[in-house]
Amino acid sequence: MPWNRPLIIGLLMVLLALTWWRLQPEEKEIRRSRLMMGTVVEIMAGGLKTSKLETAVDAAFAEISRLDKLLSSYHLDSDVSRLSQSDGGGKVAAETAEVLALGLDVAQQSGGAFDMTLGRLKSLWHFDEEASSVPERGAIAAALLGVGPAALALDGLEVYKQTPDLEIDLGGIAKGYAVDRAIAVLKEHGITSAAVNAGGDMYLLGQRPKRPWRIGIQHPRQKETVLETVQVRDQAVVTSGDYERFFELDGIRYHHIFDPQTGFPARGCQSVTIIADSVALGDALATAVFVKGPEAGLQLLAGYPRAEGLIVAADGSLYSSPGWAAYRVAP
Amino acid sequence: MKTPWQVMTGGDWLIVICLLGISLSGIAWLATAPGGTRVVVTSGGQTVFSAPLDLPQSVDLDGPLGPTHLVIDDQGVRITDSPCRAKICISMGPARHTGDLLACVPNRILVRIDSPAGGEEPYDLLSR
Repeated sequence: MPWNRPLIIGLLMVLLALTWWRLQPEEKEIRRSRLMMGTVVEIMAGGLKTSKLETAVDAAFAEISRLDKLLSSYHLDSDVSRLSQSDGGGKVAAETAEVLALGLDVAQQSGGAFDMTLGRLKSLWHFDEEASSVPERGAIAAALLGVGPAALALDGLEVYKQTPDLEIDLGGIAKGYAVDRAIAVLKEHGITSAAVNAGGDMYLLGQRPKRPWRIGIQHPRQKETVLETVQVRDQAVVTSGDYERFFELDGIRYHHIFDPQTGFPARGCQSVTIIADSVALGDALATAVFVKGPEAGLQLLAGYPRAEGLIVAADGSLYSSPGWAAYRVAP
Repeated sequence: MKTPWQVMTGGDWLIVICLLGISLSGIAWLATAPGGTRVVVTSGGQTVFSAPLDLPQSVDLDGPLGPTHLVIDDQGVRITDSPCRAKICISMGPARHTGDLLACVPNRILVRIDSPAGGEEPYDLLSR
């Protein structure tokens, strides 16, 4: 056989191998965003069939929309609005009860740093509008009367309010719960790789092709800078910071995360990022740690062995829980 | 000893030409693949603006409340003016990595960085 034949046959085999490789089913990824729950909800999902991904993502968005109608104070007929308007409480949906149960637990563990009874206080500060002034101290004191974890009780699906004018606010946990439920819906549709992100409250299911999810954490004072990057899989990442909803007056920054003891913005941190097994828990813990401040916040996290945290203190110094380093991506 | 060119038959040449043709087609296909990183703005589920991230410009995009002012420059893309009350969209700062999002929820404006080429970014999502 002439010497060039093996060469040509070899080339043909390489070409065939490349063709075979190209014809292998390729992992598709879709990315959809919608404005829901007062924020941007983004869902990414990966798999072999685009039609299956689209169906699953639509179902996940539908679940978030359903929960929004139950848990948001913007909807006047939601469970939360009905509870706030009621004199003594009432019966709620199982999902609302689940959120309240988790929230009450974190409220107790955190000594009231996480508080779902601050509806009147939050309305007073107008952070959902163009907040630019500090409310009167008397008004703040009045808005704090009767609030706290003890002002709310849950027995099955029955909720009891201690005072008629107590207003419920699930802003620090409802979005997280909705993300958890959306992930459950994606799993029910057979999705094994996905991310659901509701305004920074996110869950990362499975992993990207060939590597875990990489999540950048926003620097609280340098908008164009990423503070750290973490790698996670089947976990939630939640950040609470003082840099998105705030105004400054006489050199003081007033933001939307309140200390229930003072009625004023909590002063111990610039931002808190939590990695946890569920977004609802991460959401509540991020707020609680932010309110408690770096040292007490880390003590609180020690009671949650599967949760880790990165805290940027008010002076810019960094604190992290012992297991945080395992998630950190080397710069 | 004969040179490679002397031992090539007509069939050999045909195969070599076919292989070359396939290779060149592949190169041409790659050349027509989607280009670089883009800013994509949607409102009410419809794309209302799309532009390369590396082309500095500013644009007013109409939402239900009025125009949202968007600037693309060397920092990325950012919202610099908005008719909404809380102005959270302005305080979000710039977006510049694939997958980064900016939004004005009251004015129903959603800004995203898209990269059809799917280049490797330092992170998949930004937690803030």
